[in-house]
Amino acid sequence: MTIVATDGGRRRRRPSGEPPPLPRPIDAAMIGWLAGFGCFAVLWVWVFLSDDPARWITLRDLELMTPVVENRVGWLDRIMEATNRAGLYWATPTVGWATLAAALVTKRIRHAVILLGSLSATAMVMTATADGIRRPRPLGLTITGEWEGFAQPSRPVALLTVVLVAAGLTLAPPKLRRYWYATAAAALTAFGVAQIYTAVEHPTDTLAGATTGTAITIVMYRLFAPETAFPITYRTAKTAHLDITGPREAAIRRALRDQLTIDVHSIRPVNLASSSGSTPLLIEADDGETYFGKLYASTHLRSDRSYKLGRTLLYGQLEDETRYTSVRRLVQHEDYMLHVMQRVGVPCPAPHGIVEITPEREYLLVTDHLADATEISDADITEQVIDEALAVVGVLWKAGLAHRDIKPGNVMVQDGHIRMVDVSFAQVRPSPWRQAVDLANMMLVLALGSTPELVYRHARRHFTDEEISEAFAATRGVTMPSQLRRSLRGDGRRLLDEFRRLAPTRPPVAIQRWTLRRAGLTLGYGAIAVSVLAVLASGLSDIGLA
Amino acid sequence: MLATLVSALAASAGCSATATMPAPECPMGGSSLIVAQSVPSASQVPCFESLPEGWSVSSVDVNQDRSVIRLDSDRAGPGAAILHLDRTCDVSAAVSTASEFPDAERFDQIEQLAPGFRASRFYRFDGGCVRWDFAFDHNASATEAVAVGDALHLIPRQELSDRLSETFVGEGL
Repeated sequence: MTIVATDGGRRRRRPSGEPPPLPRPIDAAMIGWLAGFGCFAVLWVWVFLSDDPARWITLRDLELMTPVVENRVGWLDRIMEATNRAGLYWATPTVGWATLAAALVTKRIRHAVILLGSLSATAMVMTATADGIRRPRPLGLTITGEWEGFAQPSRPVALLTVVLVAAGLTLAPPKLRRYWYATAAAALTAFGVAQIYTAVEHPTDTLAGATTGTAITIVMYRLFAPETAFPITYRTAKTAHLDITGPREAAIRRALRDQLTIDVHSIRPVNLASSSGSTPLLIEADDGETYFGKLYASTHLRSDRSYKLGRTLLYGQLEDETRYTSVRRLVQHEDYMLHVMQRVGVPCPAPHGIVEITPEREYLLVTDHLADATEISDADITEQVIDEALAVVGVLWKAGLAHRDIKPGNVMVQDGHIRMVDVSFAQVRPSPWRQAVDLANMMLVLALGSTPELVYRHARRHFTDEEISEAFAATRGVTMPSQLRRSLRGDGRRLLDEFRRLAPTRPPVAIQRWTLRRAGLTLGYGAIAVSVLAVLASGLSDIGLA
Repeated sequence: MLATLVSALAASAGCSATATMPAPECPMGGSSLIVAQSVPSASQVPCFESLPEGWSVSSVDVNQDRSVIRLDSDRAGPGAAILHLDRTCDVSAAVSTASEFPDAERFDQIEQLAPGFRASRFYRFDGGCVRWDFAFDHNASATEAVAVGDALHLIPRQELSDRLSETFVGEGL
């Protein structure tokens, strides 16, 4: 037996050491600021262990400061003292609270939490370092400004830096950010100069505070709200949709050519409005073939995790889901389910393979493109379409599968025939409740374009009255995809009630299941929220917000 | 990961800027220098040799106007003794008594002996004033004030400045 690859050996394997199509970007800014903070950290340890470096640095600081301090000018004194007071008392809370309020208004809760976390972390570092080094205010100089505590590192400069950097990372789109940072740098410089002019602190105190505040804030935002996953934009685009122009488009083209032997003629996003878990793409090849691609990245992984956490809190045991630990596993699951669906006879696009864009971070799932297919809400719902759709649910039931995301956007009609798409939520051996909900959701989808009586009559050809009754006893608003809920609200007819009237009466199937895990999660997140509020209320002044 | 951040935030947000600052330790340790800088006119600078058993420093708050050192006692209660360093103090209601410090006048003002000792003790000197505020729990003996008062020392600013010039940099306070 001769083993030959199905593509005739035209695919190209990326050899070890060769970079992937889209290498992970190096965050030069973060590395730079971390290096700066690292230098100060080493210096602080050295000063803690020996007086010699402290002596040398203090003498250099005083050499820089003394000519300035001894040549103060009357009119400038008032300006500098006012700047000192402004930076000390109201600049940080003003910028901080304004940023928090704007973050909440723009629904950037994560960014608001990170801002508070950055302030707390910086305040902790300031306190620990200052108490270890115990540097007094500039010696031998007349201090005209206001201050509190030890001088090194500068706590007010650090906290002001945090809120200014955080404001940029929370509210400013990337293209405008440099203007904000230029303004912030000017403000910080003015404050720092005032601190030195009034002899409140040494130049190295100011520099250490600014460096620490910047480094901590940038690291916090990079870790917990990376730009690729949480872009700052004021367009209505969903955060799940990635920008496929520029380097990413070139990487996708190269990857498709090397890994699937597809020479791309054009590639563009499609159907963005109805997608939320990936970036759907239409891929036209040089040979005239057309493919459909779903681009998955870590943003989708986070969305999946949040979605499953919410469902666990809402439903508990009946929605026994484990979160994916990587983008690769997320894509593998959907690819696998497409193969399973095809094997059992569910009409869905044929998978062509998974393409790696960035290892462990971005993958593209390529399938057939359903030419001239339309969403069922835009199609003519004939009796054949109704029968086929219900037959699909029957096939799923018999095969021990559930689609779990039946909504108008995932039920397509092509040449009068049903095609199911987006099987990313599909499950093998689901709970009976989930299978029942699949039937109810499909009947509701069909009734939106026809009548409940017609759909019910056809359903009885595939299912018993008891099975249909079970389906609607298990279904309520929270079990439907949000698109289906919106469609039902917009329809105006009370379709769910109509189906319940047609089917035999059955008590509602309880969908709330409490388990130890669910109870623990609920209590845990509730306790965290309450404790954060309580502790923040008592510690606002320590983090510069009061 | 965000939950981890939120938990850390909750744990850290209570860290006070002043809670861990050390008290001034004689002759030049802890926060002695910065306490001296808080009242530049004061000719004397307070510091502690060693606190009596059962007493501990709760917080030290120092800024450009004054210093406040709060002490807790396992017998007299939290915040039982608070030491202030200011430019001036009002001794009009206090009674002059013999001072243990040669360069400082002492005044005592007793509001209540028992239950719950309440009193103030003032040490007035050129350019500044140190004030003890005592507020003991009901069951605590007033003699605790004697014990903690003995831990206080006043160092001449010039002595501190000379030590600094010799051992650290050429500048004084």
